[in-house]
Amino acid sequence: MGNFLQNVVNQIDPYVMQILVNIGIGIILALGLNVITGLAGQLSLGHAAFMSIGAFTGAILTIKLGMPFGVNLLCSGFMAALFSVLIGFPTLRLSGDYLAIATLGFAEILKVVFLNLDITNRALGLSVPPPYSSIPLPVYVLISVVLAVTALALMQESRFGRALKAIREDEIAAEAMGVNATRYKIQAFAIGSFYAGVGGCLYAHFIAYINPSDFGFLKSIDILNMVVLGGLGSIPGVILGASLLTTAPEFLGFMKQYRMLVYGIILIILMLFRPNGLLGGVSFKEMVLKIFRKRTQPSRA
Amino acid sequence: MKKLIIISLLLGLVMMTWAGYGLSKESDTLKIGFLGALTGDVAMYGQPTLAGMKMAASEINQAGGVLGKKIVIVEADNRGDKQEAATIVQRFISRDKVIAIVGDPTTGITKVAAPICERNKVILLSAGATGTGVVELGKYIFRDTLLDTVAVPALIDYFVSNAGFKKVAVITSDNNDYSVGLTQVFKNAIKGKDCTIVSDEKVKDGDKDFSAQITNIKAKNPDIIFFSGYYTEGSLIMKEARKQGMKINMFGGDGLYSPTLISLGGQAIEGSMVYVGFSPEQPTPETAKFIEKYKTANKGVIPGLFEAQGYDAVRILAEALQRAKSSQPAKFRDAVAKTKDYKGVSGTITFQANQEPLKSPVYLLEIKNGQFALKAKVPVK
Repeated sequence: MGNFLQNVVNQIDPYVMQILVNIGIGIILALGLNVITGLAGQLSLGHAAFMSIGAFTGAILTIKLGMPFGVNLLCSGFMAALFSVLIGFPTLRLSGDYLAIATLGFAEILKVVFLNLDITNRALGLSVPPPYSSIPLPVYVLISVVLAVTALALMQESRFGRALKAIREDEIAAEAMGVNATRYKIQAFAIGSFYAGVGGCLYAHFIAYINPSDFGFLKSIDILNMVVLGGLGSIPGVILGASLLTTAPEFLGFMKQYRMLVYGIILIILMLFRPNGLLGGVSFKEMVLKIFRKRTQPSRA
Repeated sequence: MKKLIIISLLLGLVMMTWAGYGLSKESDTLKIGFLGALTGDVAMYGQPTLAGMKMAASEINQAGGVLGKKIVIVEADNRGDKQEAATIVQRFISRDKVIAIVGDPTTGITKVAAPICERNKVILLSAGATGTGVVELGKYIFRDTLLDTVAVPALIDYFVSNAGFKKVAVITSDNNDYSVGLTQVFKNAIKGKDCTIVSDEKVKDGDKDFSAQITNIKAKNPDIIFFSGYYTEGSLIMKEARKQGMKINMFGGDGLYSPTLISLGGQAIEGSMVYVGFSPEQPTPETAKFIEKYKTANKGVIPGLFEAQGYDAVRILAEALQRAKSSQPAKFRDAVAKTKDYKGVSGTITFQANQEPLKSPVYLLEIKNGQFALKAKVPVK
């Protein structure tokens, strides 16, 4: 099985594969933030911190224990979720933007902690060996993306997802209707951070070298960019946002040094003309259904 | 529907640019990739490295190229971003079909690039990475920098025997991987020497106020301060030391070696010392020739350490190609590994069995009258 998958992966151009895996990891990270910010309406400015928890947990489990990669991914996700509950419990009981401040501070503290722990090799960072698994890493990324999208699509339409949307629109009204806002917000935060942990673990094994300084404030803003550009709360939007922003440096490459300038201008123009993001308000379920309907009833198109 | 059209157009654009990379195929050239940042926080290392590489390539090509082929430098800007650097390395290897990659000047990105290069049997010659655990990542990983593990023991011997220093205060910038690594090297090297660390202080890159650390150090009355970080903090540390009336000087690695150290530090930095592997102040004949040529080609700009290392990197590769008589990966790699006493502009370079470079001598520079002046050429044993 492992050999067969390896052969399939080898058929794809390594450069294209590199970009596809980057996109995949970007999608997982952005979907996680989408649960917190897009669905529950809580602004987290420390998504990269939870990513770093996943990355370092994954790296250490591989280096010290040689843990099978599938289990490792789950452990990394749960570790990130655990920390998010610890942060979320005191801050999410309050309404307002306290989470933004708390996560911002948490990200900075965590970076300093990682810079001073022996197990994370301080500022020197960790070189991560290849994952313990016969299945190649890109397959794990693909499976994780599919699972992440499916889980989120189901979640959005569930009682849980509707409760989150109610909290996002009006927390007081939601509470009045019997929604336990604190519990739901913490759950959303934990799920989003779980995604970040999984994304971080994949990132660590894919890039093969991690350093606490890689997961700074700018990385969090990068992920937030993907969500906002694509469309808050919309799964197809987030996928598009993650894909575009990950590949942007590649197809703007011909502009050389002016690339980041153009990138900034594009972001400003997009936000001016599409303030809800590229695909703001587009639902995954409706999109799938639309395509499906067209296929079955061509006469109506 | 409109949205679908927009999406497919965007995807098409992405695909087109990807496809574009595969089009240019020339077999009469040997491609060397430049991995480094041309924009962003670490562009000051990437840009000079590239300039040095380009100069080496044009010189080699003017002299008829290598193995009858011209050398082409393929460049890309990684902005100092690891994810982007990994993509660029992969693109160099699978699209541009480079025979070797020179870079990255920073240790972190070199560590990201190393596994990819090793997997694909492409030589990675870093012109700048000084951190630990780099060449251990593979047989195809080299670097042409002066290593702190080589330079620091030689320097401690020099200070102990020539200046009679017995007590040293160490300052580390603990959010800077270069500084943390260099302090480790220093602490290992000083063991067993007739010199002790009396004070071990921590600062951070970006700090502006060092009064607490200097107060602590002053109480211990050391002979010299060893600072392992970068020049901005270095000059501010010495300003604080002078403010508190301390007479002692500071020394450190090439992280301090920048004109900014002097312009920022002013009088306070006079007498402080840095050690480097390249010194335009007291050039060897090879280096003097390089400096003159570089100045004429670049409107009078004086080349620094990174220009010299980038230049040497391309030269070493070209020389190895000539000896290997082939760019076939295994043969090419062995030829690079056998580089011995290569007279580079940044010092004499020999690759040891573990691919680590041995560079001699170490130049100890002292700041005198607002300029770096050669204090001593410290030989490496």
